[in-house]
Amino acid sequence: MITHADLEGLIRQAIPDAKVATVDRTGTLDHYNVTVTSNAFSGKPLLDQHRMVYDALSQALKDGRLHAVELKTEVAR
Amino acid sequence: MTQDVKQQIGEEIKAHKILVYGKGTKQAPRCGFTLETIDFFTQLGFPFEVLDVLGDDAKRQALSEMTDWPTLPKVFINGKFYGDTDILGPMLENGELERVIADAFADAHA
Repeated sequence: MITHADLEGLIRQAIPDAKVATVDRTGTLDHYNVTVTSNAFSGKPLLDQHRMVYDALSQALKDGRLHAVELKTEVAR
Repeated sequence: MTQDVKQQIGEEIKAHKILVYGKGTKQAPRCGFTLETIDFFTQLGFPFEVLDVLGDDAKRQALSEMTDWPTLPKVFINGKFYGDTDILGPMLENGELERVIADAFADAHA
């Protein structure tokens, strides 16, 4: 499991201006809805926007702290 | 060995216009996201295939390397990688998915 704060921290390490909203979907702190809003997404295809977030979460996904993410990305304006 | 797996994947994504690599099968999905993806394509009404890679670590690894994408399910349309329903949902809303699928199946009848 991973706390909301740690999850947000990992994303903001990679994408410093990110606004991150997290929802624990299952009450077990390992299945999250995550919405990330950032200027860094500007001009990038959705697939690449999601890759940027998954890159930031890769270690947590690999070591099992995080099982599943339903991800939404938005360009900041 | 890895090359064989990647070649096999290459043939699979050519053989199916819409292909989902997931956890479990159409009849018995073993992951909520895989089920969601099956429902998504069932509603769209185009033929699609689901291949179970839950127990196949070598193939999962090869797929992740080929797509630069860590999670399952992974969706390919017309041989091209499109991520998962988090990507396909917005594409459906903005009309892009309809064009991609129309192109994919137009080829089939050409």
